[in-house]
Parts: sequence; C-alpha cells; structure tokens
Amino acid sequence: MLRKTLIASSLMLAGFGVHAQELDVSDPDQALLASNKIFCANEPGEIALYWWQGEVYSRIPGEKDTHIFNVQGMNARQCGRMEDETRGLGFRSVSREIMLYLDPETNEILRTWTNPWTKEDVEVMHVNNDPVNSRGPRWARDENGEPSVRFEPQQVVNGMVLSGGGAARLFYNNPLTGDYQDYEGGKYHAAEFLTVSYPLADALDASKTAIQDAVISWGRISGWLPWMKMRGRSGLMVHYTHGMRLHDWEDLPDVLREEIEANWPKYQTPPPADDDRPNDTTWTVFKRWIDEKREKGEVPKQGPR
Amino acid sequence: MKHLLSGLLLAGAAAFVPGTHAQDRLDISVPEDALEVQRKFLCSRTEGDVTYGYFEGKMYSRVEGERDRTLFNLVGVNVRQCKDLMDPERGKGFRSVSREVMLYLDPETNKVLRTWENPWTGETVDVIHVANDPVNMRRPIHVYREDGSPIEFNGLFKNGRVITSFNVPLFYKNPLGGEYQDYVGGTYHAMEMFNNYAYEDEVLDRNNMKLSRYTYSWTRVADWLPWMKMGDRLGIMFTSVIGARVNTVDDIPEPLLSEMKANYPKFLTPPPLDDDRPNETTWVITKAAIDAARGDN
Repeated sequence: MLRKTLIASSLMLAGFGVHAQELDVSDPDQALLASNKIFCANEPGEIALYWWQGEVYSRIPGEKDTHIFNVQGMNARQCGRMEDETRGLGFRSVSREIMLYLDPETNEILRTWTNPWTKEDVEVMHVNNDPVNSRGPRWARDENGEPSVRFEPQQVVNGMVLSGGGAARLFYNNPLTGDYQDYEGGKYHAAEFLTVSYPLADALDASKTAIQDAVISWGRISGWLPWMKMRGRSGLMVHYTHGMRLHDWEDLPDVLREEIEANWPKYQTPPPADDDRPNDTTWTVFKRWIDEKREKGEVPKQGPR
Repeated sequence: MKHLLSGLLLAGAAAFVPGTHAQDRLDISVPEDALEVQRKFLCSRTEGDVTYGYFEGKMYSRVEGERDRTLFNLVGVNVRQCKDLMDPERGKGFRSVSREVMLYLDPETNKVLRTWENPWTGETVDVIHVANDPVNMRRPIHVYREDGSPIEFNGLFKNGRVITSFNVPLFYKNPLGGEYQDYVGGTYHAMEMFNNYAYEDEVLDRNNMKLSRYTYSWTRVADWLPWMKMGDRLGIMFTSVIGARVNTVDDIPEPLLSEMKANYPKFLTPPPLDDDRPNETTWVITKAAIDAARGDN
C-alpha cells in the first residue's frame, strides 16, 4: 500500500517538477529502494548498464610488474521486483557480463596472444558470463518480518556517498582441477574490490528509480587466467579499472559496443528476471570452451609435457 | 547573474580572451588551460590554500593456499598546498608539498593499533603508522615540459564526469636491503593504482579554484610492511581504498582527526611552500625506527 502510494506520488512529482520527495530510509522497504537503485533499477525492465576500462598487470617475484592487457567491460542488469506479506519488498538481480582483453599498445581486441613466458601463441577467451545473477531475492525484511535492509552510507563527503574499500575474498574449489584441492592445491584464489561514489540526494530522491550519476573502480588480484596456459607457474594478475553507469547502449565505447553487437548480441540485454540457470564464471565458461575444442579434436586432451 | 559574477572575477585574469561563454571554460587543448586542469586534480589553484585528501578502506594479505585475511582497516589523509611558479622558458607552473598520515586500525573494533600480533609468526610487534613528511612533488609541472613540449591533460570526459587513472609499477632498491639486491633479491616491488573522479562543470570552470566534489580510489599491491617482521615469508598485501576531498581540517572523519590532533599535530598542516627536504617513505621511517631501537644510529 505504502509502496503504491510512493510510486504514484513520485510519478506525479516528476511530472509537475515539484521538489523531489525524499525516501524515508527508516522504513525497510524504502531503504531497499534507496540501495537497490545504485547497481540496479527499481523499475522492472529498466536496464542498469555499467561500463569499465582499465589495465592488467602481471606480478612475478623478482621482476617489475608488466602491463600485459587493457580491458573493456560491461554488465547489463535488471531487477525483478516482488512483494511478500512478511518480507515486504524484494528485488532479485539478473545480468550478463562481457570483458574484453585488448592489446596494451594498440587497444585492439586480442584474438590470439603470445604468452611472453612460454612463448606459446594461445587463443584468447574473453570474459563472457551468462548469467551473473543474485542467488535469491534481497528482501526488506527477514522471515520474521524484522528489517534486514538498512541504507546507512559508510561515508558522505560534500553530498557524495563513498562506498567500498573492502574486498570479496574468493577461495573456492576450481571446476578445472580435481577432487583433492584441499590436499593438492589448485583452488581458485582471488580478491575483487569495488568502489562506487554517487550523490546521496539521488539515492534519497523518491522520483528516481535509478542512480545514473555513479562512478566505480573495480580491481582483482588473482592467479593466471586459464587460457594463458601458464601450467602452474608462480605469479599473479592484477586488474584495475575505472568506469561508470551509462545512460544507454550507444554510450559504450565503439570497440566494446561493436564487438558485442557483432559477436555477443545477447549480451545487449539482461536475462529474463526469472532466470534460474546457475551462474557462469571464467572457470565454468573456460571448461565448456576447452572441452568443446577437445571434443572437436582442435586441441589435444593434454598438452606436451 | 552567474555570468555577471564570473565576468567580474575574470576581468583581471582573462580579460584578453575574446568571446563570451568560451572564456568561462577551460580548453584542455590549450596547454595553459591543461595546466590549470591538471592542478585542480592535485591541489587548489590558490597558492597556499590547503586541500585535505581523506581516504578509508582495508588492507588484506594474500598467501598462497589460504583465504585472504583482513589485516587492518585504513584511514588516512594527505594535507597539501601548491606554490605558484613562473619560468621564462617553461611558462606558468606549480609545485605541491604535502604531509601524509595513514593509520592501521583493528579490523574488528576500528581502534588505532599500537601493537599487532602477527598471525603467522605469533610475535607481537609495534605498529608504525604511515606518517610521511614530506610527500612533495619532486619536479614542478609547467605549461611546457623540460624538453619544450606542451603538457597535455589525459582525462576521460564522459557524461559530465572527468576521470583520471594511472598505475605506477614500482621496483626499486629497498633502503632496508643490502648492496646486492639484483643478485640476492629484496628489491621493493609494488604497484600503486589511482582513479580520480570529478565533475566536468567544476573541472572546466575557469573561475573554479578548487574541486569540491572530488572522489577517488586507491589500491596498492606490495610486499609485507617491514614492521610486520615477516622476513622472507612468501605473500603480499593489497589495499582497497575509497576517498574524497574534504573542505577543512574539522571535516576529517573520526577516528583519524582525534588521533592526528593527539599524536600527529604537525600533519594537520602541509609543509612550507618552498620545502626542499627529500621525501619520506615507509622504508626510510622504518629504518630510522629500527636503528633507534637498536641504539646504533
């Protein structure tokens, strides 16, 4: 009821150009509306398009870090909106994600790459994860009806919300290695870190279903990518990027937009809101990719020793 | 009203620029304007006007075979001012001088750490917070570089935003290491990564002397800090940090401001404009602290 009133009144306000009504974030439903519009949108079907670009370095003990790739990435997301008598308002996000590896000098999309450590020419597998969904909905309240969402920015400076400065620490079984990873090693080990800043007023403005003015940084420290064929060599990769939310598809840089339109057209839109497929990661995608090549006899089952 | 005001302000500085609106906006293809834009990202355009670059985040370990650990919360500030310069050949220029504090906080309680129990060695060590004085620009920036070429401003202008980004791989002789680092290792090996985010209307406004809505992110990937006493143990550390320029000293968030007032009062102001001391780094400071504790300096 409250929610319907809220949406109706915000539409009216937008229509008549009156001063924006503020969300009351002490109410968990409205706190969810304020926080959901940062990386998603409160209006079902409205696409949140994020874009980032940056550099990738190798880190090997004893040598200066080397700039090995540039990257261009994007994520197209939407949120399914649901209501529950006990849990109140809920959102579930569904998305698809592309990140291309580019030549660090020419910025051209790499199709093959000469591994400077092994000297081998390898085929480049760009990040193409479909889907990247949230597992369950995020509800305003828990099973007992207690508030489970708060909108409490960690820091606000001159009207800008600062969010981030932490990391998702990943340490899980790698689908490419065996059943004894706790004994033998080979787990996927990485950290991803995201920051975002945006105007607090946009988050609280009840007439805005999305925060357009958001800038991000994204970084990752991880082991080598599987398609690099590093064969267990020591060393790490460091990704560091900057980006922002875009207004529409045409806003993407040409190199990324044209490649997606030509070779990855389905990534222009998110999956359907009720998509229930398991998530993709580089590991699951690579396994399908390499298994298909092995099936066709394009690559041997096991490389030369 | 706005135009009238900016017209008045401009009368002295840029009255020679023809046109109406164009003179209110900086043009980064003009080297003199590129210098002004560059300066906005580093400090105030008013000599002696202080900027406070606040940041907060976390520091993590990465050791092979274990999930990354959250070692510390981080809070810090860089307090900076710029001096106006003029060179007969290189034109207008500026140089920044600053002091910098970064505190290591308990990741659970957010309290400033005095000692730290190293989880790998079990040893309790004294924490040496970052307190670098000075952190100055080694060489000033002028409209024309030393080789005579004009400077350029390399920022991304998109949707009303301006983003600058730079990554600095570091690989240099460690002041704590010996004279044979190329042979036996110990070289300081790190990378610093910076993104800065501003608004185009402020960046290109000729009358704007200091960015007010200015945020950034910073990450460093590096070997262990020397005071952790990790020796040759394998592993690295990395930071994830977000920050913003705050307006005054009193806007520096807690617990940083109280700790600075109590223990680092000098760091609430920048060094003098003509400061020519060599820069301090964690390595230099830690070496001095260790040597003092040993009693052999």
